[in-house]
Amino acid sequence: MTEIILKDIFKSYDQTEVIHGVDLKVESGKFLVLVGPSGCGKSTLLRIIAGLERITSGEILIDGNEVSNIPASERGLAMVFQSYALYPHMSVFKNMAFALENLKIDKKTIEEKVNSAAKLLQIEEYLQRKPKALSGGQRQRVAIGRAIVRDPKAFLFDEPLSNLDAELRVTMRKELSALHEKIGGTMIYVTHDQVEAMTLADQIVVLNNGYVAQAGAPLDLYNNPSDIFVAGFIGSPKMNFIKVKAIDKSGSFNLVSDALNLQTNHKNLQNNTPYSLGIRPEHIEVCEQQNSDLKVHVNFTEQLGSETYFYCQGEGIKQLIVHHTGQYKINKGEELYLRFKRDSVHLFEENGMSVSKKNN
Amino acid sequence: MENISNQTKNFFLRILNIPFAFLMHAIDLIMWPIQKIIGVRNMPYIFLLPNLIFFGLFVIMPLVANFFFSLSSGDELLFAERELPTTKQYDQLFDCESYLNPNTCTEDFFWRGVYNTIFFVVFQVGLMIFFSVLTAVILNKKIIGRGFFRSVFFFPVLLSPVVVGLIWQWILLKNGAFNAIIESYGGDKVSFLTDPSWAMASVIFVSIWAHMGFYTLIVLAGLQAIPPNLYEAAEMDGTSRERIFFRITLPLLMPNLLVVFILASIKGVQTFDEIYVLTGGGPGTSTSLIVQYIFTTGFASSGSVQNFGLAAAASMVLGVVLLFLTLMQLYFSRNKESKHQEI
Repeated sequence: MTEIILKDIFKSYDQTEVIHGVDLKVESGKFLVLVGPSGCGKSTLLRIIAGLERITSGEILIDGNEVSNIPASERGLAMVFQSYALYPHMSVFKNMAFALENLKIDKKTIEEKVNSAAKLLQIEEYLQRKPKALSGGQRQRVAIGRAIVRDPKAFLFDEPLSNLDAELRVTMRKELSALHEKIGGTMIYVTHDQVEAMTLADQIVVLNNGYVAQAGAPLDLYNNPSDIFVAGFIGSPKMNFIKVKAIDKSGSFNLVSDALNLQTNHKNLQNNTPYSLGIRPEHIEVCEQQNSDLKVHVNFTEQLGSETYFYCQGEGIKQLIVHHTGQYKINKGEELYLRFKRDSVHLFEENGMSVSKKNN
Repeated sequence: MENISNQTKNFFLRILNIPFAFLMHAIDLIMWPIQKIIGVRNMPYIFLLPNLIFFGLFVIMPLVANFFFSLSSGDELLFAERELPTTKQYDQLFDCESYLNPNTCTEDFFWRGVYNTIFFVVFQVGLMIFFSVLTAVILNKKIIGRGFFRSVFFFPVLLSPVVVGLIWQWILLKNGAFNAIIESYGGDKVSFLTDPSWAMASVIFVSIWAHMGFYTLIVLAGLQAIPPNLYEAAEMDGTSRERIFFRITLPLLMPNLLVVFILASIKGVQTFDEIYVLTGGGPGTSTSLIVQYIFTTGFASSGSVQNFGLAAAASMVLGVVLLFLTLMQLYFSRNKESKHQEI
């Protein structure tokens, strides 16, 4: 079991700084997911940990040992690449055995290790095939197998499922999760898909423009986003944001916009100050007019059978997505009355930081 | 204002249109009756016809004529005046007590050419592949002035073989630039082009210098087609540099190297002009290759020594070798395409 710590990591390409002082701790045996939009630096950070990129400054510790200047081959980590990076001229067996041959391990041990990994990943029957004769999912398994046989200190995954189709991605996600439970190694996984992050991770690190926006358990990030970026990034469909003003009503505050006048239990607000109200689609209910907070017009509906999504527009609100469990028939342009779950309303200051519900 | 500029533009366009319209009508005048006779579907053949005529006249016809020349004998040029058909030329070419000893052959000059060509091709191609790979690997790294060096290595390819021959003659002659340098350091002059033990080596060296850039480019393209993450995966796997080269780079480069091998062999077998300018095939016959034999026998000799039939027969033998190499090249380039799709 391996613990990986990053301390104040900076990375620049020429004059352009892409990682701005990242601190991170990956606990032993945990599954950590680095998530963020394209270009946020998550792959760079993973490659820094792998040793494929040199840092500009900072420290990388693996099990307490400083490895910043140690080459990738000596860090004892294994990486699974987005494009699998299988050697096309070698059979699956040779691909998996290659790293072990480098270590000059005897043939019998190599065979045992490869066969055992192949059994775990259910690729035994493909061992003599070349990568071109495998499907995307099978190739990905081989790539994982190549990592497993080395008994690495930790596994690094760089968007390993992004080349697979949607159905296979779901299957492989479950298999990866099961694999982590079985072998129990420390795993760092990069993805831009927040669903992958939510379903796989023990801990998620959301990156934005080379900074750590927030790190924590998946539901912590979902329930208590630290800023408007994390709030918008975690959750699918995205959280809705409405521009409001806080108006002091003798002790408590009302959040007011053209279409909305909502009493809130947020305490530490500034009177007559603009905020962004954040509410997830699943925290908005369709209700009768007399109990409603907001009236909107429906622009578009997505009927998924077990659930329905309304894409609505209101006064001063460009788009509001509403989730409804079950089926709901409504025509385009019809009115819909909505009520927000008070406890699930998030507020963000103008600088994007979340406003705590607790008294300061 | 805008209206006036539009009017001016239209006026000039109309004037420009006159010669085009005239040309189009002239073409129509010819094409229309042809199309009427042969139909629209057959019109592409009409457009191809000029090229086909030239190809037939200057490629196919000489090829066929060459074949018949090889099966004829006599000093005359016209077929009507030549003895036809006869295998006399081939009999003469292959009349040997031992094929391993050119001195026992009637056409010893031809067989010396064959052995010289084999020697030349084996060493020139082998060394050229080695140096092309070496150069391409270096030029593929992030070195300072990479673009400049890529151009420098490719530059000799653009020179005409005669120019290459003249440049190196100027350098390698006994009173040439290279010997001047050797002498200035107190060394003895070397007869690079006139000493039989040096001449072939010099010719191979010059030929490699002249053609290496082209093959380096093919190898470089092959190197760049190898996905970088294979190297990263190898690095993560703790693979040594040598092992990366021999177990990953070289096997993935093999389709390109096969193409280089075959193209260089084809070119090597056909080599003539550089050597002709550099050594004239000498000293003696030490650098004389098959093409030089064909040229000398068919054209350069005078009077009764000049033998079109024999030269044609030798060129047919060379043609068979080239056909074999070309078929190999076609086969491997198809294989290469499918290999690249795999990556």
